[in-house]
Amino acid sequence: MRIIYIFLIFSVFLIASCSSDNSYSRVEEEEPVEENPEEDVVNFDVSSVPYQTLSEYNFYEGSLDNLEPVNSVLPYDLITPLFTDYAKKKRFVWMPNQAEATYVTDDEVFNFPNETVLIKNFYYENVLPELEQKIIETRLLFKRNGNWEFANYVWNEEQTEAYLDLGGSYVPLEWEENGIVKSTNYRIPSGNECVTCHKTNEVPIPIGPKPQNLNRLINYADGQQHQLQKWVDKGFLENFPSEIVSVKDWKDESESLQERVRSYLDINCAHCHSENAHCSYRVLRLAYSETNVLDHLGVCLEPEEYVAPGLPYIVMSGNHQRSNMYYRLNTEDEASRMPLLGRTLVHQEGVQLIEQWINSLENNCQ
Amino acid sequence: MKKITFLILCFLTINFCLAQNTCEDAIEVDLGNHSYGTIDGDAAPINCAGVFSNGDHGEWYKFTPENDYNIRVSTDLSSNTGGDSRFHVYEGSCENLVCIGGDDDSAPGPSLLSVFDFNAVQGVTYYIVFDNNWSSDGYDFEISEYVAPETLIDFNTVAINLSTSGNTLGAVDMNGDYLDDIISISSDNVNILEQTETDVFNERNITTSNAQYLASWSFAVADFDANGYNDLLYGAGNGVTFMKAADDGNSFTQISGSEYVFSQRSNFVDINKDGHLDAFVCHDIAPNVYYMNDGSGNLTYNQGGLGDSANGGNYGSIWIDYDNDGDSDLFIAKCRGGNNEIKINQLHRNNGDGTFTEVGAESGLADPVQAWSSAWADFDNDGFMDVFVGANALTDGSHKLMRNNGDGTFTDITLGSGIDNITSTGIENVAYDFNNDGYVDIFGVGGKILINNGDLTFTDAEVNINNNPVGDLNNDGFLDIVSNNNIYYNQPNGNNWLKVALLGTESNRNGIGARIEVTSSLGTQIRDVKAGVGFRYMNSLNTHFGIGEDTEITKITVKWPSGIIDEIDYPSLNSTLVIEEGSFLSVNKTEYKNLSLYPNPAKNQIAINAAFGIDGESFEIYSITGQKQITGTLYQDQPISIEQLSTGIYFLRISVNGKSFQRKFIKE
Repeated sequence: MRIIYIFLIFSVFLIASCSSDNSYSRVEEEEPVEENPEEDVVNFDVSSVPYQTLSEYNFYEGSLDNLEPVNSVLPYDLITPLFTDYAKKKRFVWMPNQAEATYVTDDEVFNFPNETVLIKNFYYENVLPELEQKIIETRLLFKRNGNWEFANYVWNEEQTEAYLDLGGSYVPLEWEENGIVKSTNYRIPSGNECVTCHKTNEVPIPIGPKPQNLNRLINYADGQQHQLQKWVDKGFLENFPSEIVSVKDWKDESESLQERVRSYLDINCAHCHSENAHCSYRVLRLAYSETNVLDHLGVCLEPEEYVAPGLPYIVMSGNHQRSNMYYRLNTEDEASRMPLLGRTLVHQEGVQLIEQWINSLENNCQ
Repeated sequence: MKKITFLILCFLTINFCLAQNTCEDAIEVDLGNHSYGTIDGDAAPINCAGVFSNGDHGEWYKFTPENDYNIRVSTDLSSNTGGDSRFHVYEGSCENLVCIGGDDDSAPGPSLLSVFDFNAVQGVTYYIVFDNNWSSDGYDFEISEYVAPETLIDFNTVAINLSTSGNTLGAVDMNGDYLDDIISISSDNVNILEQTETDVFNERNITTSNAQYLASWSFAVADFDANGYNDLLYGAGNGVTFMKAADDGNSFTQISGSEYVFSQRSNFVDINKDGHLDAFVCHDIAPNVYYMNDGSGNLTYNQGGLGDSANGGNYGSIWIDYDNDGDSDLFIAKCRGGNNEIKINQLHRNNGDGTFTEVGAESGLADPVQAWSSAWADFDNDGFMDVFVGANALTDGSHKLMRNNGDGTFTDITLGSGIDNITSTGIENVAYDFNNDGYVDIFGVGGKILINNGDLTFTDAEVNINNNPVGDLNNDGFLDIVSNNNIYYNQPNGNNWLKVALLGTESNRNGIGARIEVTSSLGTQIRDVKAGVGFRYMNSLNTHFGIGEDTEITKITVKWPSGIIDEIDYPSLNSTLVIEEGSFLSVNKTEYKNLSLYPNPAKNQIAINAAFGIDGESFEIYSITGQKQITGTLYQDQPISIEQLSTGIYFLRISVNGKSFQRKFIKE
């Protein structure tokens, strides 16, 4: 197929170059939809996945622990990521040739084609005692027969391979972050834990790849580019609208506290606190597209469940110490903390943002 | 003293400006309205105002009543709306102040204002100190003579200070004297405040091996290895830890499985009626798990067969006998967001043969209401267990009062019951008779006590105490509530009562699963003995009855899981009756004593000889697991064939003139 293509291009070039003796017009090389003509080396046989080992997919070239994607695997990143006990993430997406996702709405996951694989590697740097990088797990979400399925790969100590394991496990860790030693008993989720967050009406779905989260620039190996445009160029996305209501970078101090908090709450909380999700029976609606309404953020609303003394409101405007939401984000007690799954440590920086935001609100809960 | 006078005096002398700022310079105030300014004086020396710490400044006032008054000190005034106050009340001298009490956030509603009532004695000086832990702003305050309205129930709050927090709490006897103790746990310690004959608790700390999982989601207590000391179950978000008490009761050893369990409510219960306590744990995101006891104190993990929704949604399990067939059935309050069946509550009927059938739909209890617990009791004393299902969110319906029709079905009687007017929600719901009137009340829906009016309607008692463990913490027959910070003593009201403590021998040692019936003039009340009700905590294993103004109980019947039935006529009132299994088989009336079963042991047949008429009476023979094996009609000395029975222990039960008798025999 590619040979014909090259031949056609060559032919055009020839014809163009021979079109006239007097006017030499430089024909621009047409951009192929596939950016490079190399073969797709990813191994994904939809009838036999998930494989027992990560290397079988051939997502990476070179040493597996470099997490260097092959050409057909595209790195992607979110504007504001989920907090997972300070783990770093490397996200990739792959689709089979000619398959592409389509845009639904700004705040919904793309409509992905069958055999899409979303790859999320979790790792730490400066892990004690050797102060080296340590990859913990690689989570896959792949689409088969219209349904999303989970597969989780747990990396070995030697960092040479990762093995399929949906049973859940723990990895105790100590690492240095900005000179401070932190530790956690890192939880690798079991299949039941995966679906608890990744679902709508109990049906598995991805969370991250929504236009609102992807609408940003990325520094690719071949230069900086707008991420959604890259997806289109790569043949992964059909198109996207010119205007997208997007989340903000939670760390961007040039944005308002409100915008930063709404973005932070969307990625850390909305998977449970939204319609058709695990806790839709609670008043909170924390998706970015819904938190333009203060009620949805719980401001001046009484909590439905007693958690701890002295917390009359979910968010008491002007008073973070009396806010249920702040308390829950700032605790490690596993029956009180929010989110319930996915973290065991308090995200100090995130909690500071919430504190600043709550205290910036006008003190007007009665 | 008016503030303006202050300012004038302030100009006159600097000393006066410092008034309100120290104990010595505390401003004398009378009944009436006052104000305090910015809090910048000496800090309150002792914390009398609850769980948060004192601030670094205070404003000092003093009040000396001219008479004995019931006094209310309050900042809950409309001029203070939106404010955040805190204060302490002391008596004594400035060198030696003693707490009377205080308050932080008790004003009704989502308020941070403070209200405190106390009995002020004529001529005694009370110091009122406003505390700046939350805010240094000044507020108005009022000292008034306060007449508490007549309430359906009264609690007296006494502060305690437990070092642990959260769900690590229980009110249950731990030292075998049948007095409820207060138990709280941490990873390597069990702290017990043992109830004594006085109002002082005896504190005991028992070291445990390091618990792999803590009781972050639920806590249950029972003696599953039957060594005479209660063991513990910690239900955590990632697994379950059992704490086995040593044979001398002086230490605990932890046993944790490797299985991932996102625990919710946990219970001890004899699932297969083999006489040994098993454990059941709700799983939030997978099918429920249970641990089967092999009789030697070893627990084996199982999953499947008792609530199998693939993605869980199991929150509040409770074991009761809803169909009165002598075995424990399982009701699960379920919860889940989204459009799915997971949120529908389930009733698993125990078929008596080791299997269970989910009968939510046919019973009428399959309800999508979002609920984390339910309160089961015979609310109308008609002999069948009814249920109050408490919603924790109102998106899929509200609270339900379901009356047991006695035929395996339930009718929704919420409308008009008073329950229909309750808009608050909560995850904890339990059923106890708090006013000892013989009708079981509901404690739940966000810390409310709903008093049973005796006619299947309920009235909010207007006491708001956050749901916490329930037990009788001063042995006065009225059920109290204990939290990490307070004991709420239920004030006696003259009604009579009885507590029953079971000591199993054939059945499990705590008598869990036994049906207890108490008959007095008002009727017959029933209870099922349970370990693990509500959502998080462990409540007393003693079974409590109020009998109102009745002055005698004609009979107590205990139907043990083993099938053994003990009966006591005319027990003493207002005390705890300890019943050892099988020790009250005969009835204490001479003419009924002479009923014998022979031969025993027997191989092919048995016969009954009685000193009174039994001809034509029906009999039933039960196996040791409570399964009915043979029924028939009895005649004096006429042989009853037992050839078809397998070898083992059996009970023959007959009923004569409304009295039941039971004799144990061995089939060889």
